Amino acid sequence: MRATYRALAGLIALGVVVQAALIAAAWFTVLHNADNGSVFDKNTGYNWAQIGHSVVGLMLIPLFSIILLIVSFFVRVPGGVKWALITFGVVVLQILFAIFGFGAPIVGLLHGLNAFAVAGVASVAMRKARLAEQPAPATQPAPIA
Amino acid sequence: MRTSVRVAIGVAATLAVLGPLGYFWVGSLVPSPYDMSAMGTEDFGGGPAVHSHGGTISVASLTGPTTGKPAVDVTLTARKQGDRYLVNGTSPGPELHAVKGQLVQVTLVNDNINDGITLHWHGVDVPNAEDGVAGLTQNAVKPGQRHVYRFVAQHAGTYWYHSHQVSHEQVRGGLFGALVITDKSEKSGNGAAGSKGGQPGAPRQTAPSGPAGAPAAAATDQVVAVHTYDGRRTINGANGVSTMQAAPGATIRARIINTDAGPIRVWVSGTPFKLLAIDGRDLHDPGDISDKSVLLTAGGRADLQLKAPARIDVGAGVALAIGGAATAANPEPRDTLDPLTYGTPAEIGFDPTHPTRTFDYRIGRRIGFLDGKPGFWWTINGHEFPDVPMFMVRTGDVVRMTIANSSGEVHPMHLHGHHAVVLSRNGAPATGSPWWIDSLDVGDGETYEIAFIADNPGIWADHCHNLKHAADGLVAHLAYAGVSTPYRVGGDSDNHPE
Repeated sequence: MRATYRALAGLIALGVVVQAALIAAAWFTVLHNADNGSVFDKNTGYNWAQIGHSVVGLMLIPLFSIILLIVSFFVRVPGGVKWALITFGVVVLQILFAIFGFGAPIVGLLHGLNAFAVAGVASVAMRKARLAEQPAPATQPAPIA
Repeated sequence: MRTSVRVAIGVAATLAVLGPLGYFWVGSLVPSPYDMSAMGTEDFGGGPAVHSHGGTISVASLTGPTTGKPAVDVTLTARKQGDRYLVNGTSPGPELHAVKGQLVQVTLVNDNINDGITLHWHGVDVPNAEDGVAGLTQNAVKPGQRHVYRFVAQHAGTYWYHSHQVSHEQVRGGLFGALVITDKSEKSGNGAAGSKGGQPGAPRQTAPSGPAGAPAAAATDQVVAVHTYDGRRTINGANGVSTMQAAPGATIRARIINTDAGPIRVWVSGTPFKLLAIDGRDLHDPGDISDKSVLLTAGGRADLQLKAPARIDVGAGVALAIGGAATAANPEPRDTLDPLTYGTPAEIGFDPTHPTRTFDYRIGRRIGFLDGKPGFWWTINGHEFPDVPMFMVRTGDVVRMTIANSSGEVHPMHLHGHHAVVLSRNGAPATGSPWWIDSLDVGDGETYEIAFIADNPGIWADHCHNLKHAADGLVAHLAYAGVSTPYRVGGDSDNHPE
């Protein structure tokens, strides 16, 4: 269970890295297509990287953060619920920054910055789980082979 | 803490998280198949309560003339080739011409399009059964099947036809064409259907705009259908700069049709121009325009009058050079013509100051589920599809509607079966020519007030013409008292209008 908590937190942090990679690929794809004479306008469908960004951002990361929260209720990780809640909160904030970004593109800056917060708090949650997994030190020294 | 207590708290907390999520998820599921006319919330707009569900008048009975020999009789066969949808072998499909008062009959044949097809007469206020909305006014026409549309051409102007079945894919892929209705006095229309066509990339602008076989001398009237195929913007299917033959000094009527998903800006180089008509309705007393572009919303039409030689730009380097390619292109003007103040006032034929009903159409966006799928979805009056308003009217009602957009993106709002007059934008009243629309560009943060007379009984879609947005739930309906539909959307019906 603790491993599950740790894995979910890790997946959320990893998800942020994937998101950064996807959005970079998305923009280079748009620029490359424009270079070949394509129009980028309201007719333009999302390219593969933009679709990936919305699938990871609107489905996978929210799903992981909800499961992380649920798992945290059952797992013995010090501060586990707290950090799962914080992770969930910054994910919600991230989605809000995304939706407001359409009308006010400047909000996109906050979307970009808050991504680091998502990765950061998910990493903290991951570390909390790892520390809880380690056996308490010094009480029972491992026998020397 | 004992383990059992911990688990109990955990289960309770889990339910607290999953409960609301499940509630919203289940609530978002759309029944399948469903009755478009029975869904959503009836909105009487402050007028007397009327109902459509269980009504005695079937949409299917509200047809055009069932007898009489059509003056225009065309068969349009649609087929799919790769990702492209062709009508009689071309995209755009044949340009149809009719004279005001003529009976038009179009037989739509589906060659091989498995999803099924329909034809909607965009901007033509046809009887409801001829409106071509799958699952609302007819069933989708499956491969090998045909469907006959019959209506009287009542109002001279520029229109277009397109599929209203899986429309966000089919229109984008090319299942559309132009329809021009002329007054008798104009020489370009002789009642026969044109058969102009060309594959995208195969320019055909040098052809006369008149019907097949008509003399080239009549080419003062030019359809300029703008469409973007796979990232390539085109005019009548041709990328880049097309040419149109015209004698110097000839007066040209250019009928610009935006068949795309978003607004375009149109500007003219080499001569001043007049904006004669918007959405098939003439403007009163239009003045000369220079150094301004015309914003043409998705689905909308603008008729420009100009003298050759000239050049019409529709953005993305795509243009029509009239009377030789010599006219240099001006850069896109910084200013956009505001139809709110263009031309001079004239009688509109009814009094919108005392409406029978006043509706709100507020467009927003939120995160949630649409038919179980998480994402950012459009809302109408704060609710997501299918929990959207059903605007209820009776024949003869004077209707005012406020369309407000706070969704972060522009929406080209299209009301079927009616033309509405624009009263104001963001509180500023219309002071120019009566500005009649069937497609209205409502930008983020904008609020329009429009008015119309409910004079065409039926059930009518009132939706965003960025057709992907409509597929994502930005669609409501205007329904007349006592009218119901025998058709169904989704499930076994295979009808998917958007």
